[in-house]
Amino acid sequence: MKYSSLKVSLLVSFFFYSNYGFSEEIAAQGADKARDFYNEEHFIIEEPDTEGNPSVSGRPQVKFLDGMRVGPGDDKTGYETTGYVTNSVAITARKGVQADLIRVIENPPLGLPKIPVPDSNPLTAEKINLGRKLFFDRRLSLNNTFSCAMCHVPEQGFSSNELEKAVGLEGRSNRRNSPTIYNVAYIERLFYDGRESTLENQIWGPLLEHNEMAMTSFGHVLQKLSTLEDYEGLFEAAFDGRGADILTLGKAFASYQRVLVSGNSPFDRWYFAKEENAINEQAKRGFALFSGKAQCITCHTVQEKTALFTDNQFHNTGLGFKRSMGIKPEKERMLIAPGTYAYVKQAKVKLVGEGPLADVGRYEVTLDPDDRWKYRTSSLRNIALTAPYMHDGSMHSLQEVIAFYNQGGMLKNENGFPNVTQSPLINPLGLSEDEIEDIVAFLMTLTGDNIAEIVSDAFSAPVGDT
Amino acid sequence: MNIKKFISKPLKVLAPFVAASVMATNPVMADETCMSPYMVKIVGQEDFVYVWTLGVEGLGDGQDKMVTVDVNPKSEHYGKVIHSESVGGRNEAHHSGFTDDRKYLWAGGLDSNKIFIFDVHTDPAKATLVKTIDDFVSKSGGVVGPHTTYALPGRMIITGLSNNQDHGGRTALVEYTNSGEYIDTYWMPTDDNLQGAHKGGQFADGYGYDVRALPSKNVMLTSSFTGWSNYMMDFGAMLGDAEAMKRFGNTMVIWDLHTRKPKQILDVPGAPLEVRCAWKPENQYCFSTTALTSQIVLLHDNDNDGMWQADNVSDIANPADIPLPVDISIQSDDALLWVNTFLDGMTRAYDITDPHAPKEVYSKKIGNQVNMVSSSWDGKRLYYTTSLLGNWDKKAQDNDQFIKLYHWDGKEMTEQFVIDFHEEKLGRAHQMRFGAYSLYGKQAKVEQAKNPIVAMSK
Repeated sequence: MKYSSLKVSLLVSFFFYSNYGFSEEIAAQGADKARDFYNEEHFIIEEPDTEGNPSVSGRPQVKFLDGMRVGPGDDKTGYETTGYVTNSVAITARKGVQADLIRVIENPPLGLPKIPVPDSNPLTAEKINLGRKLFFDRRLSLNNTFSCAMCHVPEQGFSSNELEKAVGLEGRSNRRNSPTIYNVAYIERLFYDGRESTLENQIWGPLLEHNEMAMTSFGHVLQKLSTLEDYEGLFEAAFDGRGADILTLGKAFASYQRVLVSGNSPFDRWYFAKEENAINEQAKRGFALFSGKAQCITCHTVQEKTALFTDNQFHNTGLGFKRSMGIKPEKERMLIAPGTYAYVKQAKVKLVGEGPLADVGRYEVTLDPDDRWKYRTSSLRNIALTAPYMHDGSMHSLQEVIAFYNQGGMLKNENGFPNVTQSPLINPLGLSEDEIEDIVAFLMTLTGDNIAEIVSDAFSAPVGDT
Repeated sequence: MNIKKFISKPLKVLAPFVAASVMATNPVMADETCMSPYMVKIVGQEDFVYVWTLGVEGLGDGQDKMVTVDVNPKSEHYGKVIHSESVGGRNEAHHSGFTDDRKYLWAGGLDSNKIFIFDVHTDPAKATLVKTIDDFVSKSGGVVGPHTTYALPGRMIITGLSNNQDHGGRTALVEYTNSGEYIDTYWMPTDDNLQGAHKGGQFADGYGYDVRALPSKNVMLTSSFTGWSNYMMDFGAMLGDAEAMKRFGNTMVIWDLHTRKPKQILDVPGAPLEVRCAWKPENQYCFSTTALTSQIVLLHDNDNDGMWQADNVSDIANPADIPLPVDISIQSDDALLWVNTFLDGMTRAYDITDPHAPKEVYSKKIGNQVNMVSSSWDGKRLYYTTSLLGNWDKKAQDNDQFIKLYHWDGKEMTEQFVIDFHEEKLGRAHQMRFGAYSLYGKQAKVEQAKNPIVAMSK
């Protein structure tokens, strides 16, 4: 009884907010001011729908795949309403079993092509094991707080469900969402702007970036590694007696990431193996829209025997332009507690923020004005696991993403300034709400069948700490 | 050797007696009112304030430091910095707390996870770094962000804010001996492992922030804030990140003080931060305030049946403005609660003689921003500092960084001194703890006046 009354008292308190200043202050301050106060300044309380379910769909949700819990250990599904209940998991529950990941080299999963492996870095189990250990080692950062896995969290789709944009060492801001590592082996030009060419080279970016792991030099990384006793002999064993150096470190990291391959999804079994019942009718309708009216397949490509769902090319969809050139509203609605919102003025946000960081996309690599706000097409595989979406993590559901494309990107900003480099492939699509839901249903069929195995394998690695 | 098994049992049995004896032999309870009840006491005027200060890149030596300020009005250096002890790196210096014998001050780094232990008894005028715990994360099994360092008999209990798996808010309490040996980790209850705690509402988020003990009720109370990703990131960026904004604590947990087991999880939406308990024996309740929803929360066990309640008992300023309540301080006679709100830089006094219906009775603007408030035991001196978190503080000209002393006569506050931490090239002034010669049977040294004003160390 006491607990139910507590709940009621909290809710009553919320409702008090919803009337805050309404009954007394309207009369005292005049209708206009009161309306302004009511509409824009005060808290809004959102109730669950009539079935008690959160009213928002498409958010990341915890899933159990082959008995493995996948998704944020701190699940916030439904946080937008007062009906939210926690679904948290203990930190001590992180336990896993090392898997034979290298087998995918001989037998790539259904739907995926042969994994490209450079001659200079043939895959071995020793390199993969060493790469895994490195991937989870927070000591590889300047102040021992950051490993790759702090942003590419295994149970969160090797991305981060908890942040729109990554946060680096000492809390430094990043401009972009942490991309998933699943199937990174197939990406031809790495990072959203394609600035890096190989997985072997790629690791040095995050290790040395001031706003990521912030090590101060190549030598600094290698010297620090040489002081960690638990690495003694591991590089030599993996690289024919050769110790840790600029090349072997990159090769070890690359070897682990290269085998994080996940296919044989329900879609693959339906489309490539012709298992008629592998996906439902809604998802089939969704694929028809995906490859037809919605034109998604133009960039998220599907081949005859395999599908990467990316053309590995760079496109201006309008989103980057919107971030750089769009006009923000004076006030923004913010969630401050479950189901409780407040409107906060931009002026107030500016007092405590450095402001958004400039991001012009592929242009930053080529300096070609035609490349402004172009970003690499992301694969759609395992997209159910990798919210929030887009290069800046600004879209929280797939419905939101498809709605953005449905309206045709952003050809001009609120003041009429034109987005001259927007891809001609981006056009209003005329999709109905039902059609959008069908496409989402199709996208949900792209989760690979070995996610639990890969996450469990990741959990088998110790987190490297001082 | 299993230290916990070896030591903890007799200590746990003795704990209430130790507390009782400390109280009996020290009629004046404490100099500042947020201290552990197990703490040895200062009688009368404090001599020093130790300010745990965040280094700022490009300012002075750029690193965190423990700054000793002379606050005895009889001293020649009254209102001056007399010592600064740099610790290396920017660790996100945040809170600190004394061991129960008050000889050592433990100060945590929310980012680097280091705990710096300062000797404050050999020479109370120089808080001197004597030990650094740099394996807190691995020893604790993955706890990140050591926050409150709180004295229990012979022990320090440390609240975490985050973890080494996702830098989110799930975390634990960690126990050490006074000499710095790790004892055990007590994870905050989560839905999959409530550890026997009663989940009375909708939430069991596993988050942590502050801890306080009420020995007579055999309880510890913990509150909940947010994980590393949020407390370290640019405040403005976080406000614009809708996912990040979901990751704040909505719970308080009642623990069995002796067994360190969680007993009850209370729904307290909106990030309840500081916890302060009433001092009078008949007042068996505590307060907290919620950072995002701006509520004073009363924690009580009115029916005395061991089942606690959390009641929102008052708004703080206008909650719709999100004033961001931060530090609070309860007066030793349980009559006033000081509440600072960061964004408007105000301090407010609430009359809490009826704890169920606090009333704002006084307010004053301290600066463009304000975070911590520390009160002398007699309530006549109130010290204020400004920094909240390195990346949450206001920018540019609004980024005040100072320590200010006010005298409070029960009706009005009068500024006594201010030290500008920008001008002194020290950094961001955060948490304050008081020191005094009298704690150690010492007198202020006459020759102290001849010493240089600032002795920079390290």
